[in-house]
Amino acid sequence: MTLSLSPRINEFVHSVLGETALLGRLVEALGSPLDIVLPEQAGRNVAAFRAVHAEHRLGGRIYFAHKANRSSALVRELAAGDAGIDVASLGELQHALGAGFTPDRIVATGPKNAAFLWLCARTSVLVHVDSAAEVAELGELVRARGLPPVRILLRLSEFAAPGVRTAARRSRFGVSPDGLESILDLAGKYAGHLEPVGVGFHLDTTALPEKAVALEGCLTALETCRRRGLRPWAIDAGGGFGVSYLADPAEWDDYTSALTEAVLGRRAPLTWNGHGYGLRNEGGTIGGSLGLYPAYRQVTGPAYLDQLLRTRAPGLGRPLGELLLDSMVDLHVEPGRALLDQCGLVLAKVLEVRDDPGGLIVRLDCNAGDVSTENHGVLMDPVAIPQREGPAEGAYLFGNLCLESDLITRRKVFLRGRPRAGDLLAFVNTAGYFMDFGATEALRQPIARKVALFRSDDAWQWCLDDQYWPLHRETA
Amino acid sequence: MRFDAMTDAIGDTPLVRIDPAVHGLRHIDLYAKMELLNPFGSLKDRAAWNMLRPLVSPGGTVVELSSGNTAKALAVLAGMHGMRFRSVTNRMKVPEIKDLLLLLGADIEELPGQAECLDPTNTEDPLTRMYQQLGDGGYAHTDQYFNELNVDAHRHGTGPEIVKDLDGQAPDYFIACVGTAGSSTGVARALRQHNPDVRVVGLVAHKSDFIPGIRTIDEAHAVGLFDPESYDTVETITADDAIDGLLTLVRRCGTLAGPTGGGAYQGAVRHLRKIDAGLTERKTAVFIVCDRVESYLSYLRDRRPELFNRPPRAHDVRTVDAAEAKILDVAAAERWVAGRRGIVVDLRSPYAYQALHIDGAINIVDELFAELLHGGLPFSRRQPVLLVCPVGEKSAKYAALLTRMGHPEAHSLDGGVIAWRDAGAELVRD
Ligand SMILES: Cc1ncc(COP(=O)(O)O)c(C=O)c1O
Ligand SMILES: Cc1ncc(COP(=O)(O)O)c(C=O)c1O
Repeated sequence: MTLSLSPRINEFVHSVLGETALLGRLVEALGSPLDIVLPEQAGRNVAAFRAVHAEHRLGGRIYFAHKANRSSALVRELAAGDAGIDVASLGELQHALGAGFTPDRIVATGPKNAAFLWLCARTSVLVHVDSAAEVAELGELVRARGLPPVRILLRLSEFAAPGVRTAARRSRFGVSPDGLESILDLAGKYAGHLEPVGVGFHLDTTALPEKAVALEGCLTALETCRRRGLRPWAIDAGGGFGVSYLADPAEWDDYTSALTEAVLGRRAPLTWNGHGYGLRNEGGTIGGSLGLYPAYRQVTGPAYLDQLLRTRAPGLGRPLGELLLDSMVDLHVEPGRALLDQCGLVLAKVLEVRDDPGGLIVRLDCNAGDVSTENHGVLMDPVAIPQREGPAEGAYLFGNLCLESDLITRRKVFLRGRPRAGDLLAFVNTAGYFMDFGATEALRQPIARKVALFRSDDAWQWCLDDQYWPLHRETA
Repeated sequence: MRFDAMTDAIGDTPLVRIDPAVHGLRHIDLYAKMELLNPFGSLKDRAAWNMLRPLVSPGGTVVELSSGNTAKALAVLAGMHGMRFRSVTNRMKVPEIKDLLLLLGADIEELPGQAECLDPTNTEDPLTRMYQQLGDGGYAHTDQYFNELNVDAHRHGTGPEIVKDLDGQAPDYFIACVGTAGSSTGVARALRQHNPDVRVVGLVAHKSDFIPGIRTIDEAHAVGLFDPESYDTVETITADDAIDGLLTLVRRCGTLAGPTGGGAYQGAVRHLRKIDAGLTERKTAVFIVCDRVESYLSYLRDRRPELFNRPPRAHDVRTVDAAEAKILDVAAAERWVAGRRGIVVDLRSPYAYQALHIDGAINIVDELFAELLHGGLPFSRRQPVLLVCPVGEKSAKYAALLTRMGHPEAHSLDGGVIAWRDAGAELVRD
């Protein structure tokens, strides 16, 4: 029995995969692995988020969380549209400014060093502050250097739900709502230098109810601000809107059931060395829990935001979207993964194909850092270029590092038709976090070059990622 | 029937024949074991009491990982015996049950959802960690997923009662939903003692569905009491099956069953229909109705909203066209307000109104306003009104509705309070 996990591929990516000659030449010229980014799709994804805001009559920015991909092409394309950008390091801020984002469209998040804070303040970007210490550091900096006042969002965490307690995961970032008054006191000491314009959060969870609690917690926090005479108009709901990676829910169900049975020893192993992805066999009963991203998800991205806005606030009872609108609050979001849905793929060359008692072995000229789906718990099949004919065979994908653990995935992948040395495997939908987030130069293996593909004159054109500027489209 | 304690009322539930006109099986008598008639409302009363009895110690704390009926029964039992009850769960998706548990005095904690940015090195799941904490906490842990006393409650109670009520015979078929597997395993053991040929069908939820109280096949594999060998077949039911069955039981069989009772009925009939066609002699089958429908109204409302539709009511805002409304732009509205020409009705939520509003406005949130209008005009026709909402869309609809109801001077603020704010007009707090 073959257990496919067919990736979800939209028409646009489908058309790229059809350009087999072009893709082959690109890898020949630029080496394996090769990252391909599709900037135009990112623009479409922003529009889909915008449409949710419009549907709910809400204002606020769609900030792209830059951390999801280092590409210049993606950032420049987004700069050409109406998105904002969420930068989490000095380098990302420089990159965003250089790509054409004006400071009013930038928010700085995450842990910040002095240089990062200085450039934020100097260019007047919005700063999402994590802690009291950061408020003090930024306030001192602005005062001491005579910089213009800086707009800040206060990051909150550890929201309490009414009714039943939720044992939320602890976060490294943000202050609890109980600490809001004291952080406002502190910000008040820098009046004229720091201007609180709102509050925000970023929760690392797929669970909608937790986000509903957080959003309502932010509304309560804004009321605290107003009571002190402040006039904040924004809530930043962070990222985490998710992506659905697979085309077919039944394949996901079948695979996870089969994995459970394999861990219990009721069927042949489906993974390298019987790896259980977090599941263990404890005397015939499954222990542990499946450490995998839910690769098929029904509601993700813009639809997830829509559902959140339709969710009734646990305390106030009214749908959150209406509460935000009633309160005239702008809702900012910082999607990373979701804005890069269908925005890129990694191509890797097949170096060797051989039979092994445990299954076919396919050795690739790339490593687990170049296609880091496994590291993020995402399972989906690669697409073979060209597609060979033949029965499906279970194969292990080996990487190019001399490490026992360097498998692109520890899962046996069922490939339809046996690939040959020199063929390509395309790992689709990898633009969000799986392309360059974990790539290293270990063993002096090269880091993938990046290429932007775009439509122009009714054909696919390409250029190196850092050569891309959003000028190829005819202006209307 | 005179008892010393409610615990004595646990068990001895009726076995009731389902009218063949309802299920349509020609050669099979189908019986329902009415576990919903247990004193705290479900089959879990038996397991809860059987597991807790040896652990009773006044002043102590009972702990269980439960999202529903076990928690409910344990909370009641703990209260009867001077103990506290604490539940940890990631599965509590039915709001009525949450509220009921709070009412019973339970201390419940929900586990967080899955991380969006997965850390694959963190394979220790929250439940395992919770078990470790319990291990050395001095709690009375009933451990329903692993505790053989859960199975025994049904092996010595539910199962033998069925045999007794069938005049000492085991049924030919037994069908039950699988949560902890306690009831299905226990009953199956008792029945097979009488007749090793009893066919046992276990029902699990379809993987993409949620049916409160039972598990999917993968989840069942994480249950210590679950042994696939206990069942002749394990079949899948969907939430739709469960609700279809529930509707049959509540509307036609006088049985106020919850979703798993409905699922068991539907799964039983589906399984038996295939067999029925080839039968020449009479057979009997038994399924379990686990609990009652009342706790699942929101679950049903989410999935079958049409079941709850009320007939259309008078003066419904959905029936008017906003274009019929009289509109005031911000400048005109400012003059209207300054001239005290009438009342301003702010249709936003009280939370938003209290934060900032137009001076002199009264607050009637739109949902409430709609409710009032069903009954007629809530103010005189001679009283001019200006309706205000966030962007002027809802207020226009309500102004149009008031106009249609014969009000001559109902206006809507164009662009709403957001346009008002953006024009720099005054907003106040009290
Ligand atoms: C503050 C903040 N915002 C946004 C994001 C983007 O999250 P996602 O890519 O899941 O949308 C992250 C991710 O780590 C984050 O830390
Ligand atoms: C409503 C409902 N139905 C069915 C079951 C399944 O019973 P068991 O746990 O004995 O398998 C449960 C158990 O929690 C339940 O709450």
